[in-house]
Amino acid sequence: MTAQTGTIDWASVKACAAAGDAVGAFAMLGQLARPEDDFTTQRRHARLVQRLPRQGLGLQPLKVALLAQSTTDHFAEILGLWLALAGYDAEIHQPPFGQAVQSIINPASPLYDFGADVVWMFGTWRDVGLEVTPGADADAVADAVARAVEREASLWQALRQRSDALIVQNTADIPAVDVFSHFAANVAWSHRSLLHRYNLALADSLTPGVVLFDLDHVSACHGKSRWTDPRYWHHSKHAFAFDAIGLVAHQFTQLVLGAKGRARKCLVLDLDNTLWGGVIGDDGLDGIKLGNGAAGEAFVDFQAYIRRLKDRGIILAVCSKNEDANAREPFLKHPDMRLGIDDIAVFRANWDNKADNIKAIAEALNIGLDSLVFVDDNPAERALVRRFLPMVAVPEMPEDPSHYVETLQRAHLFETVSFSKEDGERNEYYRANASRQEIRGQFADLGAYQRSLEMIGRAAAIEAFTLPRSAQLINKSNQFHLTGTRYGEAEIGDLLAQDHWAGRCFTLRDRFGDNGLIAVVLLRRDGRTAHVDTWVMSCRVLGRGMEEFIVNDMMAMARTWGCTALEGRYVPSKKNALVARLYPRLGFAEAAGPTGETRWRLNLGTAAPLVTQITPDSGP
Amino acid sequence: MADRAEIGKRLLLVFRDVFDDDSLEIFDAMTAEDLDEWDSVSHISLVLAVEREFGVSLNATEIGALANVGAMTDLLSDRATR
Repeated sequence: MTAQTGTIDWASVKACAAAGDAVGAFAMLGQLARPEDDFTTQRRHARLVQRLPRQGLGLQPLKVALLAQSTTDHFAEILGLWLALAGYDAEIHQPPFGQAVQSIINPASPLYDFGADVVWMFGTWRDVGLEVTPGADADAVADAVARAVEREASLWQALRQRSDALIVQNTADIPAVDVFSHFAANVAWSHRSLLHRYNLALADSLTPGVVLFDLDHVSACHGKSRWTDPRYWHHSKHAFAFDAIGLVAHQFTQLVLGAKGRARKCLVLDLDNTLWGGVIGDDGLDGIKLGNGAAGEAFVDFQAYIRRLKDRGIILAVCSKNEDANAREPFLKHPDMRLGIDDIAVFRANWDNKADNIKAIAEALNIGLDSLVFVDDNPAERALVRRFLPMVAVPEMPEDPSHYVETLQRAHLFETVSFSKEDGERNEYYRANASRQEIRGQFADLGAYQRSLEMIGRAAAIEAFTLPRSAQLINKSNQFHLTGTRYGEAEIGDLLAQDHWAGRCFTLRDRFGDNGLIAVVLLRRDGRTAHVDTWVMSCRVLGRGMEEFIVNDMMAMARTWGCTALEGRYVPSKKNALVARLYPRLGFAEAAGPTGETRWRLNLGTAAPLVTQITPDSGP
Repeated sequence: MADRAEIGKRLLLVFRDVFDDDSLEIFDAMTAEDLDEWDSVSHISLVLAVEREFGVSLNATEIGALANVGAMTDLLSDRATR
């Protein structure tokens, strides 16, 4: 297999496609294509993917409306490539040149027939049109910035009235050119300062369902002096350089993955020559390179970066070929370690192959393999994992550890469109779960185990404070998700504003800690029946009696509505087989329903509360 | 000054790559009229591929003025750096 030998080149991809192996060619292209490739190379790759038959590639449809005031035809082609490599068969809608704003304002525009999943408001600094007289006072500056932001916000509003799409808004790519040069930084009224203020004010004005794509940041990463190619602006209104197209397309794609709940959740780390230099088993605690000198500082930096990833909610695991005691020693004793043993949710150091170990890590954490990123300095280990676990992301690491941080950063594998209190504490939940698994072994029956946990559950209506986390849970959950629905914050807000909808969110705490908000239910009333439109739950609280607790709450809610029945649906997906028999297990009887799903009813006239060891929270 | 015939050969490969057609042939008098796929969008892709292959940077006027294959070959035999 080519993935192992590392000889993938364009000729071999083309030959593979010509031989009729679309799946193989697509997989090889996934390894060959780089966001930094020049435009001609990107376009070649994009056109090959366009020609491949779609069967077997496992792509999901995605509709993207690309609304720009500049020319984006070439960009759209490359965007299609990167979305495809991320698993999306993208349809990209572009209004005629110069019609982006009109297409939003006009309710009859083709934009609204298109039915976009994502609307990308691809503005650049030229579209912001921020200019004040040199020397203008603070009020004039504030006015001009507020007007420019208000113009965008009113477009978000217009879009929101007619579409539930995720709205992605560009920040302004602040140009390298400013007639005041360095002095521009001294004053609020310079073009550069105005655009900085505009970008900050955009962030302050965001409403649910609108997120920023930081085009200014991308332009800075690419290099401001080569970000634009004025020849192609003058010739055909291309607003940024062709060779930056891959970078923009790739980063947007990663943002979409984050928004769709498909960003990576867990970083699996090798140890020797990845977290420190040298081999702990051979070199010993004093011999490994960590801190004290250039070689060791690089590893300290890398660890500090990983530590910050953990603090924002990325789960950490270790997968190392080592004796367990040796592998743990630096975590416990080395003064320059930035990661402690408690930062690692699952620690696997043994001599088994890494693919098996990674599978075991995913199982222990109860997350999918497609949630994992594997970092290892050893090319042979990377190739093995790529080959046997192609769904695990395996960034190609450079030889020099000084470049580890930027390599991981450039892969943009952990994009998110929200951050909640739970994210920062996630590693804690997973570690606590490992402790619960341990005591579970001590009890013969499940009820005794559950009672020993001293669990307290809380059910509440979804409100402004819990909406972001609730939306996040609905969009990230795959396994415990009965109907597969995906709603943005704005959509949920719209639904819950109606009398016949109710949103419930659930938290669970026990003697090992607080699990945070771990389940969400959306109920819809139709006559005397309450329908469970959406039911998601975090798999880390499975088998704790939470399902029963939630059904009891749903019954109570349905009864307040005056309903006589509670009806749930199970819509099978690739990942939710876990809950196929959930409703019958909870005492629901099968009811008639359309093909492709099963329906389950609970008669509220006769149903008694389900037994659970979770005590309802009596606090405020 | 580079060899016109040699440039022609390399230009042919660029055309075949850009227009995804390994049997495509080109000739000096050939214009966008002669090739369905040669529109204003693919023209820019073509010019970018030419710039990359021959190590040249065309100005905004030249980008639009490369009306036929002969004009491209002339310009490249004058300016190509590789």
